[in-house]
Amino acid sequence: MAGLVVKPRFPRRRIVQIVVANVFRYLFRGAARNWFRNIGSTAPALSSMTLLLLLSGLVGLVGFALHNLEQVQAGQASLLHVYMRDGVPATDVDSLWDRLAKDPRVANVTYVTKAEALARAQTIPGLPQLAAASDGNPFPASLDVRVKSIDDAAAIDQLVRTDIAVDPLDPTSYDRGAYQRIQAVLLGLAVAGTAFLLLLGFVAVTVTINSIRAAIHSRRDEVSIMQLVGAPRWMVRGPFVVEGAITGALSGALAGLITFGLAVAGMQAGSATFAQFAPGVTVTVAAVAAALVFATGLGLGSGSSLIGVRRHLES
Amino acid sequence: MRPILEFAAVTRAYGPRLALDDVNLVMEPGELAFLVGPSGAGKTTLLKLINREIRPTTGQVWVDGIAAHTLKTSHVSELRRHVGVVFQDFKLLPRLTAKENVALALQVGDLRISDEEASERAMDALEAVGLGDRGGAFPQQLSGGQQQRVAVARAVVGQPRLLIADEPTGNLDLETSWQMMDLFADIATFGTAVLIATHNVEIVTRLQRRVMTLVQGRMVRDQPAGRTGRMAWLASS
Repeated sequence: MAGLVVKPRFPRRRIVQIVVANVFRYLFRGAARNWFRNIGSTAPALSSMTLLLLLSGLVGLVGFALHNLEQVQAGQASLLHVYMRDGVPATDVDSLWDRLAKDPRVANVTYVTKAEALARAQTIPGLPQLAAASDGNPFPASLDVRVKSIDDAAAIDQLVRTDIAVDPLDPTSYDRGAYQRIQAVLLGLAVAGTAFLLLLGFVAVTVTINSIRAAIHSRRDEVSIMQLVGAPRWMVRGPFVVEGAITGALSGALAGLITFGLAVAGMQAGSATFAQFAPGVTVTVAAVAAALVFATGLGLGSGSSLIGVRRHLES
Repeated sequence: MRPILEFAAVTRAYGPRLALDDVNLVMEPGELAFLVGPSGAGKTTLLKLINREIRPTTGQVWVDGIAAHTLKTSHVSELRRHVGVVFQDFKLLPRLTAKENVALALQVGDLRISDEEASERAMDALEAVGLGDRGGAFPQQLSGGQQQRVAVARAVVGQPRLLIADEPTGNLDLETSWQMMDLFADIATFGTAVLIATHNVEIVTRLQRRVMTLVQGRMVRDQPAGRTGRMAWLASS
């Protein structure tokens, strides 16, 4: 065996460490260094993406609140208040109750006394003043009828209107088409919001693709040298994608923090009013929205830079 | 022995113009050959076909057993690890030192090479080209000849089977050009095939190596080593 050089095998763990270190260096450290070096050309993409993500976050929160509002409205629309005539005998009320309870379109019936109606009114903004201005209790007793389907509310209204126990002047709370009008408005807002978000997304993707194109253009010599010395495709493309991801992540983090801050500030400024106009928007929801904005930024940044790299690097 | 480079009836067209027309050539390991011809003869096109920067319109290009003519773009980097390339304009990364430029070529080809090993091998390569003391210098701190040597070190550090050089002496003075040629001859003695595209008639005639002459895309002459004759095209180029 004289003269034969025996090379011991490298331990597998050491090889893995070396590969990981090299991948980290060429992919992430190189991308971070280039990102900081090109911050001047990245700044427009960073600021516009932050603005777009912030708007997306706020639109998302508003959309969530509107969705909850629609749920509240749907709940209210399926609840029909059948107002009782003053001084109606209990037997007439019981008779109407039985009729309604047996109706297959009705989910349940609850009797609300005048005192309960007054107590409930005092929780609704504006009504306590009305109660205080009147002599006695101006709120009538009612049978609260929850229908199984909102579409049956009109039929139940027709059924009870002529009943002897019902107030002939103001028989029920039924407002024909009120719920449908709310639904139409909310649908319009949802369509407009979605279109707005899509437009924002398109602008964000375009801005990022252009910033990546500028980065590729400014480093075209470096890219071509890397390709000519045999760098694999991922090593040439990867740093640009990571750069896009850094831009997206920073924009997302910034926009997420502002979204969260604005929502919390709104809650602290007027908790009762905020809860009324934006039902369901809590600190947890705001935190989830911020996290989603961050994730969207990260995805948008890396996705659009991947598109930019695919479109501009090969050429 | 399998040829290191083989062109079989290779044609390359740019629109209606034929840059290469039915070119056939074979190179063996350890062979040093010159590719000569007037400007626009197709020399650079031929080198680009070897490095799979472009594909032939028709014909076959085999590089160390790899079919470059059918190679997918995603696999080009594998072929390029078999081929070292030296450019007229050096193509060194300005933000890296000489040693880092050389080490980069090693590590992009094989991620299992550690920094220490890459650094060691890069320094060995730089010493082999006479720049052992300039490893820490950036390209802009080196002369043209020194930059070209760094480019050669980068091209050979991965021990490629084939080295191609496109006008490697184009930006160098005569003395430095001779030093470069000595370096290429040394590299060939270690078994690497070396193909040099050049205009430098003095070098070509004095070295007495194999000379392939391209004129208007056609291989008009393929003279074996030691039989270099007059090259009329040089008078008109």
